[in-house]
Amino acid sequence: MKCHIVQKKLSAYQDRELELREQEQVTSHLLSCRTCREQYAELERVWQTLGELPEVQADPFFYQRLTKKMEEPPKRLFLPVFEGFFQRLRVPVYASILFIGILVGTYLGNFLTRDGLFRTNHVSHPEEMTDFISLRAFDPLAPGTLGDGYVRMVSYTGKEPR
Amino acid sequence: MDKEIPSEDLMARITEGDEYAFELLVGRHQSSILNLIYRFIGDRTKSQDLAQEVFIRVWQAAGSYQPKAKFTTWIYRITANLCLNELKSARRGRWFPFHRSDGDSENAIEETFSDGSPTAEDLLLAKERSRQISEAIQSLPANQRMALVLRRYDDLSYQEIAKILDCSVSAVESLIVRAKRNLQKKLAPYER
Repeated sequence: MKCHIVQKKLSAYQDRELELREQEQVTSHLLSCRTCREQYAELERVWQTLGELPEVQADPFFYQRLTKKMEEPPKRLFLPVFEGFFQRLRVPVYASILFIGILVGTYLGNFLTRDGLFRTNHVSHPEEMTDFISLRAFDPLAPGTLGDGYVRMVSYTGKEPR
Repeated sequence: MDKEIPSEDLMARITEGDEYAFELLVGRHQSSILNLIYRFIGDRTKSQDLAQEVFIRVWQAAGSYQPKAKFTTWIYRITANLCLNELKSARRGRWFPFHRSDGDSENAIEETFSDGSPTAEDLLLAKERSRQISEAIQSLPANQRMALVLRRYDDLSYQEIAKILDCSVSAVESLIVRAKRNLQKKLAPYER
């Protein structure tokens, strides 16, 4: 058996979970291979270390406490019918909170954006706010700006202006 | 006399409401269940509470116990599920994982040295060692931890562990291989 195969089987070998033939093959390999033997020794060291964890003793009054606990009625916040109802409500409630949060966030975003960014002194009627894109498209552009240059470029007909 | 009655037969009596049979069953298995829980979660007080919860469930579910299944497999499955659920609840409810109180290891170690032989230094060293080992076990992922504890401390076969954890034997082998590897790394700094 080759080392890389044996090393994969070392844990199961330690736990005596290999088939008899495999167990014997690994044993035989370990007798002749120092590297694998050291790896196995390391596993054994960990296993022995775990054995140092002490046990705890049960409370001598364990059974008395147990029967007392069994006699107590189960603690409930609500009547059983309502308890189940509120349990089932959990996911829909969280989903609703998330949905409301998105709606409020969208509304606030639109509201602040419209009022803060696009309000101008020339707006005399509220409805102009909603049509600002269409109105502004026809405003004359300041000469020398990128927009003005673009408009001139797309409207160029090849004829000299009079 | 009581030790001769198999646990499976005691369960049959418990199904009929036999409280004495239940008392015998608790007495027989309380230590192994308590230690399984303690090694898994590392908190002694919590372990006592959970161990009681296991037996409450045994009493309540006695009617659903199938005699064809080995009793220890059945009760260990209840215990494992309770431990894993408790870990999930603890992670949801807290920022920190189970934190063992300082009294836990000290009490357990003093019980081990119950003949009064150790010196104060022995106790201190044993306490520190116990803390290191417990921390190393606690650092394992839940399934690796449970598989390892069942193998190392309850000496269960991979097949039995697979039935308890409701997974395949190869999955158990893989869990234990990874657990041992992780423990090797964790315990290496403390090796003498």
